[in-house]
Amino acid sequence: MKKVLGSFVLAAVMLGAGGMVMAQPGYDIKVMTPQVKSALEARKARFAELKALKSQGVVGENNRGYVEALGGGGNVKDLVNAENANRKEVYQAIVEQNDLGAGSLATVEGVFAGVQRDKAAAGEKVQDPSGRWVTK
Amino acid sequence: MKRPEKVFFLILGMAVLSGCTVKAIGDPNRPITINAHITIDIKGLEKTASSIEDMVSGGQTK
Repeated sequence: MKKVLGSFVLAAVMLGAGGMVMAQPGYDIKVMTPQVKSALEARKARFAELKALKSQGVVGENNRGYVEALGGGGNVKDLVNAENANRKEVYQAIVEQNDLGAGSLATVEGVFAGVQRDKAAAGEKVQDPSGRWVTK
Repeated sequence: MKRPEKVFFLILGMAVLSGCTVKAIGDPNRPITINAHITIDIKGLEKTASSIEDMVSGGQTK
């Protein structure tokens, strides 16, 4: 009886532990849809060009998770628009695939903005949460 | 009932409860509205954002 009871106690503990792990949030792109894959590949392809524009101060990271043209011509704006469209696809995929709710897009954008600020190199322009543009 | 048996049935009951499905049956003419509040784990989201941006940059940020 004691052995059987011990097994059940162990099973119950394992069941409980498994449930807790499953309950922990883990946000990710769970399904790599063709749209998300294409968006990420496009972002990777333009990364070097965007980085060069950032180091020149022509493009900056705003506080809403997107890049913003701070100078330059139409080609810079085109690049910025394309980058932002791809970013939005990724953000929306995170919201939808993790069941965060439509109202969570702004939160996801804000978190990405913070990460972009942290990752920005010295000399690049970033917009702080208050809306002020600063050079890192 | 002996004490070990009581403990056994208590644990069994907890195990069954943890895996059970609760069904709410209501009046179809009066749909129930549930306002769900989703709490987002910001730290978890930051980790996800960071790994995505690292992947995009190929680890070249900064």
